[in-house]
Amino acid sequence: MDRPTLDELLEATAEFLEREILPTLADPRLRFQTLVALNALGIARRELALWQGLMAEDQRALATLLGREGEGAELLGELAHRIRQGQAPEGTFAFLKAHVARKLRVASPRYLERYP
Amino acid sequence: MRAALEAALKELFGPGELLYLQRIPGGASKEAWVLDYRVGERVYPLFLRRAGGGVIQRRTLPLATEFRLLEAAHAHGVRVARPLRYFPDLEDREAFLMERLEGESIGTRVVRRPELQRTRQGLPQAMAEELAKIHRIPQDRLPPLPGPGEKPAHAWILEELYMDLDALEEPHPALEWGLRWLQDHPPRPLSPVLVHGDFRIGNLMVDGEGLVAVLDWEFAHLGDPREDLAWPLVRAWRFGEDGKRLGGVGEVEPFLARYNALTGREIAAEELLWWEILGNVRWGLGALNQARRHLKGEERSVELAVLGRLAAEMEYEVLHLLERYG
Repeated sequence: MDRPTLDELLEATAEFLEREILPTLADPRLRFQTLVALNALGIARRELALWQGLMAEDQRALATLLGREGEGAELLGELAHRIRQGQAPEGTFAFLKAHVARKLRVASPRYLERYP
Repeated sequence: MRAALEAALKELFGPGELLYLQRIPGGASKEAWVLDYRVGERVYPLFLRRAGGGVIQRRTLPLATEFRLLEAAHAHGVRVARPLRYFPDLEDREAFLMERLEGESIGTRVVRRPELQRTRQGLPQAMAEELAKIHRIPQDRLPPLPGPGEKPAHAWILEELYMDLDALEEPHPALEWGLRWLQDHPPRPLSPVLVHGDFRIGNLMVDGEGLVAVLDWEFAHLGDPREDLAWPLVRAWRFGEDGKRLGGVGEVEPFLARYNALTGREIAAEELLWWEILGNVRWGLGALNQARRHLKGEERSVELAVLGRLAAEMEYEVLHLLERYG
């Protein structure tokens, strides 16, 4: 594919919003929504950079926890079901913490830093 | 709409002039209008809530009920804007008119602005006092409200949350884990009271002097008083001031002590943990649901969309609370 790459396109869009649009906005609501849009672009860029690695990690941990291979969403669904039935496998809590932390490394990495 | 409003204003305040009428931007399910009415030298600042044309969110009260609730709260001395007139049909939609109060209700400002420092110091006490008043309103003065019926209040709420989770059709094992723990550790039952349902910084209007008004009654219901006491402890409502567990402004103990002194209830701080975990599960599900509103086209908004990803913050907090105190 020709340059710019997907990440570079998202970066250019974010730069435009931040440097050219944001300073022109007086309406607090529009300013807030623009900051949220910048956050959305940040999530997209982190997902692009990290997701494959994190997904593979999540998938491996989930397969080990449940003792079988399978597609990600299906395994996650099985785990959710077993927790609801009160039959969570040993090690579920540790998996869940790591699983949610992986989601946050994409969605909200600074939030994780707020925990000691 | 203007003509119908003018007629009502004339009845309420006497002959005068509608100086200003402006819709302010906001949600699609409810409209908000700001208006000023002048009679002679006096100007009345007013606020109009009107049903929107959009999709009604599940579980929010109809405006007629909200209006009657505000009347009851106002009559019992709760700090709320005075409700003035209900319109069953203001250009095809229900609406109500109330006083417009001045103050700050943006959560991040309430917890941070230097000029609100003194207000923050008094806020835990003031919050306890308002909740004590709200929870004391006799139920025969209230309009019909959603409630647990014959079930224990906590069991009713858990059922509702499971329904919300199932409606997502997406696995969230961390939320399942929280809900499972809640089921396995039921709280001691308390008699149902009027629960505000969204009592947190962000729904409290303050000024430099203190608490001005309790806003947003649309999630009111009958339930357990600890639900309201623990909701402002939810980390998302601390607006970054993580060290101050009560809404980013103060500590739980003086707040609870004041509440207990006013109500004669003996609620221990540890009892709030169950409801704090519930609150985090509920706001996690709320965030996921808000994103669904965007995805389904009910209300397109990047803000709602991003909440779908930020729900993981509440999942993490649920796990953190269980690891530390569960």
